[in-house]
Amino acid sequence: MATVRTVDSVFPKRKKANSASAAVDKSRCSLVLEKSKEAQDDDDVEEILRQFDMNLAYGPCLGLSRLARWERARGIGLNPSQHVKDVLELCAGGDSECLWEGRV
Amino acid sequence: MDTGVVLSRKQADYICRDERYCLSMQRYKGQQYSQLYFFRLHTIRQNLLSRIQERWPSLPVCKILGLEEGQLCVVVGTLYKQMQLKPSILEEYSKERSVVPLATPSKFTHNDDYLIMEDESGRVKLIRDANLPSFYVTGVVVAVCGKEEKDGEFFVQEILEPGLPPQIPLRSAVSFDEEKFVVFASGLKIGGESTNPLELQLLLDHLTGHLGEEEEQSLSSQIVRVVIAGGSVDLQTSLSNGQPLSGKEQTKLVEPIRELDLVLTQLAAAMPVDIMPGPNDPANYSLPQQPLHRCLFPGASLYNTFVSATNPHQFELDGALFLGTSGQNIEDLEKYSEAEERLDFMERTLVWRHLAPTAPDTLGCYPFTDRDPFILEMCPHVYFCGNQPSYASRLLKGPSGQQVRLICIPSFQETSSVVLVSLKTWDSHILTFSANSFQP
Repeated sequence: MATVRTVDSVFPKRKKANSASAAVDKSRCSLVLEKSKEAQDDDDVEEILRQFDMNLAYGPCLGLSRLARWERARGIGLNPSQHVKDVLELCAGGDSECLWEGRV
Repeated sequence: MDTGVVLSRKQADYICRDERYCLSMQRYKGQQYSQLYFFRLHTIRQNLLSRIQERWPSLPVCKILGLEEGQLCVVVGTLYKQMQLKPSILEEYSKERSVVPLATPSKFTHNDDYLIMEDESGRVKLIRDANLPSFYVTGVVVAVCGKEEKDGEFFVQEILEPGLPPQIPLRSAVSFDEEKFVVFASGLKIGGESTNPLELQLLLDHLTGHLGEEEEQSLSSQIVRVVIAGGSVDLQTSLSNGQPLSGKEQTKLVEPIRELDLVLTQLAAAMPVDIMPGPNDPANYSLPQQPLHRCLFPGASLYNTFVSATNPHQFELDGALFLGTSGQNIEDLEKYSEAEERLDFMERTLVWRHLAPTAPDTLGCYPFTDRDPFILEMCPHVYFCGNQPSYASRLLKGPSGQQVRLICIPSFQETSSVVLVSLKTWDSHILTFSANSFQP
């Protein structure tokens, strides 16, 4: 006869967090607000790129990669900011699709 | 009698300018047409801004969302014509299947059509007199001067179109002293039921100099080029109804293309030939149509005088710019707007600086993202349009000294005519061949 394997042996008990719920909630909230520095940078990068996507002057953003849209804007004399291109190349891995790609 | 005189054919320097219509470097990534419309609006708006400054120097140029009621201002945008008779794919599904229309209309204009102007920020309905919507079509970029009314509509006082683009003046070189002709043919419809092969053979013999005495032959020797503007074959597509074809049926289906190859081989052996695809030719449907593949012409493509061109086709001969289409753009304008003559439509496309403004709305078009190849940057010296019902020609003079010869090339199958254009005087003549023996 094999030893009885109960659920507990497979999934060992974990400590429940309900014991000091109120205090833990508060600390959990403050933990959520403080992100790591890398995550904040990622958010900034994403924000810059989204603002570039939403800018009406450069035309519709859907159907075109961000770099292609930037190049097109430069080609027709709209003078897009070099900062966006630098951000694209350094942080977003060279190129990325627009905000709505795959979502609409 | 053979007098031993050798006539040599005149030559003209030819440069093909079809790169802008070539699709080989394009990769379709699922984009939609909004990119094309954005590029069109931006490019033509740049051209319009300087003209707006001249015409209305004191008025502000507003975006549509920035319009204020009662303020006189200028707005630049793309026109959209709301037409109730325009065929809509949604209506195909919503209407009852049992109701079969008695006749499909060939013209979709209606007295209740109205124009809407649209730019990046929004759209506004334009009101003026009744003639305005029948003149314009969807896709034209114009500037309007007027004021917004109480109910949000824009009352138009004046309209400014982009106008004829600048033209490179022809160099007054020695080569223009001798008479040279270009022949434009269209709608050969080889393989069609009502095509007369004898008239086509007469045309070939005349062009290659096998007909007539020295006088006719010297006329043929002055022809430097033949341009075939679409409609070259009439394939019996009813044969290919989804069933696999037997060998005999396959041969029957491609018979017109073999005949066309024979015709082109005869021509290409004698003189330079450009062939453009047309509405029912074996090329892609949407504009710009790509050149007919050289495997269709095993005989003619061996000659370096044979050029398979795109539709629209642009080339330079002795420094003069030629531009033309196989007729789809003008046919579409005919369906969706009103004019007295086909030449008026051609003139409008030049003034609007756009070859095919209805593309992609009602005319098939490739969804370009980085350019709009139909925008006219330079004014051509000769502007031709094939597959038209009858021959018509006009010399258009522009405000800055531009001169354009507009030509409607008639369909050869119906009229047995081709058009000759002189490179010296820019006159055009019609050349008709008749195989009927009883001619009054």
